[in-house]
Amino acid sequence: MHTIYARINNTSAFLSSCVTALLVAIALSSLAFTADPKGQLAVASIQVHPGNARRYANKKQEFAFVNFNVSAGTHLVMSARAVSHVHACSKPDLSPLFNWNTKQLFLYLSAEYTDKKGVANEVVIWDRIVRRKEDALISTTGRNKYVFRELSASFRNIPPANYSLKYNVMPYVGVLTYGEAARTPQPVAFPELQSLS
Amino acid sequence: MFADELKTLRRLGFRHVLLQVLNFMSVLASGFMMWKGLGLVTNTESPIVVVLSGSMEPAFHRGDLLFLTNPLDQRYQAGDITVYKIPGADIPIVHRVLETHDGVTIKKGRIAASRIAHDQLLLTKGDNNYIDDLELYQGLEWLERQHIVGKVRGFLPYVGYVTIAMNDFPQLKYALLGGLGLLALVQRE
Repeated sequence: MHTIYARINNTSAFLSSCVTALLVAIALSSLAFTADPKGQLAVASIQVHPGNARRYANKKQEFAFVNFNVSAGTHLVMSARAVSHVHACSKPDLSPLFNWNTKQLFLYLSAEYTDKKGVANEVVIWDRIVRRKEDALISTTGRNKYVFRELSASFRNIPPANYSLKYNVMPYVGVLTYGEAARTPQPVAFPELQSLS
Repeated sequence: MFADELKTLRRLGFRHVLLQVLNFMSVLASGFMMWKGLGLVTNTESPIVVVLSGSMEPAFHRGDLLFLTNPLDQRYQAGDITVYKIPGADIPIVHRVLETHDGVTIKKGRIAASRIAHDQLLLTKGDNNYIDDLELYQGLEWLERQHIVGKVRGFLPYVGYVTIAMNDFPQLKYALLGGLGLLALVQRE
């Protein structure tokens, strides 16, 4: 009854149930934080250039290039289609998303459009990992990190796309949650193909 | 060293050994039933997976546990973290969805088990990788729903490291299994 084996057994069982209860409590507690921060996002322009497909070097493929500017304060209006950059401007302060169970935020900027055949597309063109609350005021200038291409290899006759900044809150323990921080007020049209030089 | 244990074993008799073996098997069977039941509820072949690589760091490290679901009526969205298994590859991969294209099929003339089962094309990327996973797809151009094991819904750090340790050091596995089996045999109550 009071052997060392029994004592070890009881102690470790008690400890592990305590740890489990604590972890469950922490995971449930993060459901009580319901921050939903919002910013604005505006796209200035897009550039479409011809190129070659990645796998098949002789296959033509068009690429869209998106320059955006996520910055504090300034809010750019949508400029003319002739301008050859996309400016996405927003000031989302995502620090309310950081609570005691937030390990990191995964931010991503995605383009959403449905083509005329009804194929719905969602393409992530930029992302960022935010690990500290101090870095959660998003203010940056950049261009798309990932290639933006269309399934049909061409952006001709593709309807305008919506751009949105979304986040994934990743906890130390528990459930992963998702949300949207900003979205372009109107869909942004793709420009005509530009040839290089 | 084992003289005492052997003596108790002889004293307890053959029937006791049989009973303990039966107990051990019923524990195994109920564990297997719970695993498969969870798989039925979540609609995935493995509802709990262990992270094996560092390609999703700093979010997921080696040895973290992930809880998956794969609801049949939900499409995957960009930003979701999926676990996928390419035919021919031996281990499943945990990466984030970078592109989704809904309503397209690659191969015509195949009968889908579900209306949405085959009409979504996905491209994934590990958070810690610089480029997308095209090189990992072993010749496939896109991931399809049939390759997806599930979507990551929950996270528990470190716990899965036990299985990695047992894989890396097989002696540990045999020692653990042997010790448990011996304990089950000689235990009196």
